[in-house]
Amino acid sequence: MMERLTRVKFTNLDKVMYPRLRVTKTQVIEHYIKLAPRMLEFLRGRIVVTTRFPDGIDGEGFYEKDTPRGTPEWVETFKRYSETADREINYIICNDLDTLLWLANLAALEIHIALSKAEAYEEPDIVLFDLDPERPAGFSEAAEVALSLKDKLNALGFKVFVKTSGKKGLHVTMPIERGYSFHQTREFVHQFGRHLSRENPMVVSERSQSQEPGKIYIDYLQNSSGRTMICPYSLRAEEGATVSTPLHWGELKGLDPEKLNVFSVSKRKKDPWDGFWEERQRLEVG
Amino acid sequence: MAMKAKSPTRPIWSGRISLGLVNIPVRLYTMMRDESFSFRYVRKDDACPLKYQRVCTLDKEVVDWEDVARGYEVRKGEFVVFSNEELEALRPSSDGRINIDKFVPFASVDRIYFDKSYILAPDKSEDAYGLLLSALRELGMAAVGKFTMRTKEYPALVHEYRDALVLTTLRYSYEVVDPRDMEELKGVLEPSDEELDLATKIIENLSGDFDIAEYRDEFRDRVEELVEKKMQGETFVVEEPKGEEVKELMEALQETLKQLQAK
Repeated sequence: MMERLTRVKFTNLDKVMYPRLRVTKTQVIEHYIKLAPRMLEFLRGRIVVTTRFPDGIDGEGFYEKDTPRGTPEWVETFKRYSETADREINYIICNDLDTLLWLANLAALEIHIALSKAEAYEEPDIVLFDLDPERPAGFSEAAEVALSLKDKLNALGFKVFVKTSGKKGLHVTMPIERGYSFHQTREFVHQFGRHLSRENPMVVSERSQSQEPGKIYIDYLQNSSGRTMICPYSLRAEEGATVSTPLHWGELKGLDPEKLNVFSVSKRKKDPWDGFWEERQRLEVG
Repeated sequence: MAMKAKSPTRPIWSGRISLGLVNIPVRLYTMMRDESFSFRYVRKDDACPLKYQRVCTLDKEVVDWEDVARGYEVRKGEFVVFSNEELEALRPSSDGRINIDKFVPFASVDRIYFDKSYILAPDKSEDAYGLLLSALRELGMAAVGKFTMRTKEYPALVHEYRDALVLTTLRYSYEVVDPRDMEELKGVLEPSDEELDLATKIIENLSGDFDIAEYRDEFRDRVEELVEKKMQGETFVVEEPKGEEVKELMEALQETLKQLQAK
């Protein structure tokens, strides 16, 4: 019966992936099944990079860019030279439910996506403000900064979206029209970071300051060719089986990101990022 | 199993053959493959794969990689310790060249020094590569020199083989034992003419053409055969999913498929 629904052969379903919450691979796969329609909006046509934990998050994890041995022939791939690896890498493109489930079965708990489509690799279609709090600052401080960033961007006519990173941080994003370079999106984010850091002493905009205690670093460098962002609704390899969860802006205040996990997120009725791709914008400022 | 080894898809090194002022960009590919069967250690009962840990021999504590250095045992139980950085500083670094010192008749090189062979492929240098290849073939010569791959320096030979340039790394002279130094070999006697005559006749009767394909690793074949059999019967790892779980996944799947079709 299962064969009629998917080409993926599930294995080791009882294996515990998150020991503290006793989450098994079955539950991981179920999460990805339920969120597949929302995730595929962001996965299609993009290279994905995964973090795999064959023995659960307490075992060894590894970052995987290349197609692993034994990749079924129906999985779509995209060859590209990687500067960091100094060789050609055969990236996975996750265009359909089966590929997503195949990844889930490989214990690819974290699924990261490029900020551009494979076919236009150097032209980002997502701008990412990666808000990364350094202790003792945490999620609530990052949320405060995200809200003031939103006000700034809204005032200039931009429509922006927000999601938890699944850890302590937040991702503020905006879909953009094609034709800009990563250099342009990176500078765009960097400018806003600088601007905000002048107004708010909690915000820092430079990499050299990213480790300063109590600060929120707006990581603009993520807007680079070959870099990736955790996919909306991907699990994280964190003790609490947290999920990078799209939010309504109104939800941010007082939110506990730990509660957005493998058990709860698939039960959220509405997708705050519904209609994301209908909001592609131009980067010109007034 | 095919009689030929599979062609490699990725070079393991790239650089230049350097002949004084002339440079020929090349890529180095693996030529020798170890096809012996490899197993993983697993627990007997449930085939759970095992991993190695570095354990202190005294207090049995597991030691993290970051706390690991290298010790050279100078006397029993007495070590001089090297940090990774210290060793790195000593290692040669690749200058990206196969530095050719001279040319020698290929047949004059004692094959006992041959270590491992690699295929050299032109790297957008088809002209120069073809020229060196043809010249070496014409003269029956090989180039001798040295090169550094990863962090090790090798003496090496570049020679023609089946229309390609092949690089063969060489062993150092002090790595090869001279049989003339073996005591047991000093008492070998010369045979009488009759004995030698008989022996050569036997050899002639058994003589033929050399064909490496006549030999295969039969242990490997037997293991492979057994793997096939075991795969049909008792496999360990792939647990059959239990009924309840599968039912849940199937229901979720049906729901998702419906949603995706509606889009």
